[in-house]
Amino acid sequence: MAEFINKNKRQLTWALYVIAAVLIVLFVGDQLAGKKAARIVQTLISGVLVGGVYGLVALGIVVINKASGVFNFAHGWMMVVGGMIFWSFFTVSQISLLGALLLSTATMLMIMSTVSWRNLREGRNPLLTIGGIIVMTALMTVGGIEWQWLHALTGTFAGAILTGLAVERFAIRPLIGQPLFTAVLMTLAVAEVLHGVTQIAWGTVELNLPIFVDPQTNSRFRPIRLDAFREILDGLAIVRVELVIAFVLAIVAFVGFILFFRYTSVGLAMRATSEDQQLAQSVGLRVRVILAITWAVAAFLASIAGVLQGGAVGLSLNISFVALRVFPAVLLGGLESITGALIGGIIIGIVEQFGTLLNSSEQVGTNLAPYVVLMLVLVIRPDGLFGEKRIERI
Amino acid sequence: MANIHPAGVFDTTYEEDMSIDRTARDKLWKNLAFLALLLAPLVSVSGPLGLGWVSDQYIGLIARIAIFVIAVQGLNILVGYTGQISLGHAAFMAIGAYGSAILARELGFSFWTALPASALLTGLIGLLFGLPSLRVKGFYLAMATLAAQFIIPWALRYPMEDLTGGTRPLNVPAPMIGPFASYADDKLSNDEPLVFEAGDPYFVDVISVSLESVAGGSPVIEVVNPAGDAVPYGDVSMTVYRDAADKVTGLSYIASKAGAYQVSIRAEDGGAFEATVQRSKALSFATSIAMYYIIVPLAVLLMFLARNIIRTRTGRAFISVRDNDLAAELLGINVFTYKLRAFFLSAVYAGIAGCLLAYERNSLSLDAFQLDTSIEMLAMLIIGGAGFPLGAMFGVTFIRLLQEAMIPTLRPWLSDWLPQLLPFVDAVNITSAINPILFGGTLIIFLVLEPRGIAHRWEVFKVAWKLRPYSY
Repeated sequence: MAEFINKNKRQLTWALYVIAAVLIVLFVGDQLAGKKAARIVQTLISGVLVGGVYGLVALGIVVINKASGVFNFAHGWMMVVGGMIFWSFFTVSQISLLGALLLSTATMLMIMSTVSWRNLREGRNPLLTIGGIIVMTALMTVGGIEWQWLHALTGTFAGAILTGLAVERFAIRPLIGQPLFTAVLMTLAVAEVLHGVTQIAWGTVELNLPIFVDPQTNSRFRPIRLDAFREILDGLAIVRVELVIAFVLAIVAFVGFILFFRYTSVGLAMRATSEDQQLAQSVGLRVRVILAITWAVAAFLASIAGVLQGGAVGLSLNISFVALRVFPAVLLGGLESITGALIGGIIIGIVEQFGTLLNSSEQVGTNLAPYVVLMLVLVIRPDGLFGEKRIERI
Repeated sequence: MANIHPAGVFDTTYEEDMSIDRTARDKLWKNLAFLALLLAPLVSVSGPLGLGWVSDQYIGLIARIAIFVIAVQGLNILVGYTGQISLGHAAFMAIGAYGSAILARELGFSFWTALPASALLTGLIGLLFGLPSLRVKGFYLAMATLAAQFIIPWALRYPMEDLTGGTRPLNVPAPMIGPFASYADDKLSNDEPLVFEAGDPYFVDVISVSLESVAGGSPVIEVVNPAGDAVPYGDVSMTVYRDAADKVTGLSYIASKAGAYQVSIRAEDGGAFEATVQRSKALSFATSIAMYYIIVPLAVLLMFLARNIIRTRTGRAFISVRDNDLAAELLGINVFTYKLRAFFLSAVYAGIAGCLLAYERNSLSLDAFQLDTSIEMLAMLIIGGAGFPLGAMFGVTFIRLLQEAMIPTLRPWLSDWLPQLLPFVDAVNITSAINPILFGGTLIIFLVLEPRGIAHRWEVFKVAWKLRPYSY
């Protein structure tokens, strides 16, 4: 008996997985049997749409983890900060010159001193800094309300870069060589500080971010009704347009990042660094600079996700909880896999929406289902779907 | 490192090397500190001696610090000594708190039995969530405990709502010793309520009503104050006993606050009854001073126990698992069982702390056991010094003093000048935002400048003091 089990371990394990999957499908199917087909299709569609943004959030976490091996627990608060900065620049009609000047100065100083503060003493760097400050301030303050998109995008870009670089410089860089535990706690501490800063600057009230509005009527889009499938679906499936736009933009940002990662020299350097830091250093790459760029890029991705999420469901401090739901997505996709981030995000989105469909009163979808998935991933396949296989003894 | 003796004095036996009190003076200081802790409430404003040397606020603060010292010491066993990251410690505290409250409310356990029972229950659930350590380690294990941090409060909030009250706060009875022999028996009839003076806050009156014979429907039993209002639960606790046919057969009632009360029994729809009211005294721990004498000695005892566990075979195994698990396995240590033991011990500590928290506040709400609390406890451990026996004490004291003494003094000052300096800041937001900023900032400073925590500084300081005036 024992010999048989040992010989066919692999097959038996798979058989167990299949049995578990069949049981789950039977249980969920039984629960779903009472629902209309239209509701199920609608849930599936909105799950995929919500999952697109989750994938973008997961991408930011994966990028940092790939490059520096730090799992960023502060990602949710980076989303909030980015979204809030966007809101400030988008809704305020007249941006104060002083504020714009301060923001761009701080950003340019952080950018130019990425290697070290001493960089600022070299001849052309101060000139570049001043030029950058002037351009950024001009972009942020030029014109009036009709340029609000330009203001908002420039402001968010500057704010996100500043956040990412500052976090890397003051919190992560001093920890090089420290154990994993320290890095985990450091990102938690950064999350607390960002939490406090957001609360001081923007308060706790939910803000309205009117970016996904109908240009003609200047009000919310009317949801799409899938009338064509009425006969097949036995009812009406309704899809919110905001979610569709957010999904499309998230995919655009995702593809944009992949292009950047694949075809630019900075992206190549980032890939080399994430492969092996010492090797990258020995071929002449500045690992420190590349880590800083990675954090800035991840903060920018987080900001985009924050803006999309804020536009789709409303901007408040609660957005940071989205990142907590994305952790299961990251582990499901694999800690190092970029495609895994998107697929994991979409799966978690679908799971969340179906959880809400099955039991809407008890917050099963948002507060339980993702973490059950997390436990399952950890027990069955800790490396995730696309992650690197780790060979280590437990 | 801290074991510095004068030149020429050496430890000659293993016992000497491992002893907790290195010198007679160490022992003296420790005992004096413990004595001062025990005497503090007696000289407080509402203390029985009426001296008023210490403000009541500090007595409550010390008790809360002691509770969190227990919880963080549990985390220290798991994180500091065994090297397993846990992000779900607050959830285990929630199990201890709700476990003891439900045992007391639904099954009639007293505090003294509910405490060990809920600690054991928490330990078992801790074992359950430690099981993934069979398969994953390091960061992945942290993720598993993060899942516990979400799953456990969810389970307490929704499926167990009948028992836990969901989002509403749950009342917890005060701990009590007794009741002792009864001192008065009264016969009660239909129209005259029993009026009595309930005694002082420490020796409370326990009323038990037994109905010898009832005709008609069950009578209504009420405990009211002289104004005729029902007495709030915090002041009294009342249990009504019913027989199988749901008829009231009696009740027991505890008045923990001094004052005049009356018990009235009204028969419904013209029935008649005969009731005996028995009054007896019991020792109650409803006041914060009385709770202090449960919490603080227990915290000291548990700190001592943790210190001792680390000196045993188990503790040495924990440390070897932390330092190098492969080497530990080669030495013949079963790494998995020792990790599970660490999870169990840590959860037991968390359960005791949760139970004490429930009984100290007399009221429970799930908001106290969110992810923030877990992170806060980890931060306390790091700031105090992970892997040091006194780390938990230093960390909790530091963070609590920061939160409860420093922030309130800073707040008016900050709300005054910060809005002037930065025009977009609203003074209303400063109050809620200052706590996370100071807390996160402190943690960052400690992680960068002193990752080994205050306890390490303390050891360095002690050595420097012993070596004065020559620093070698």
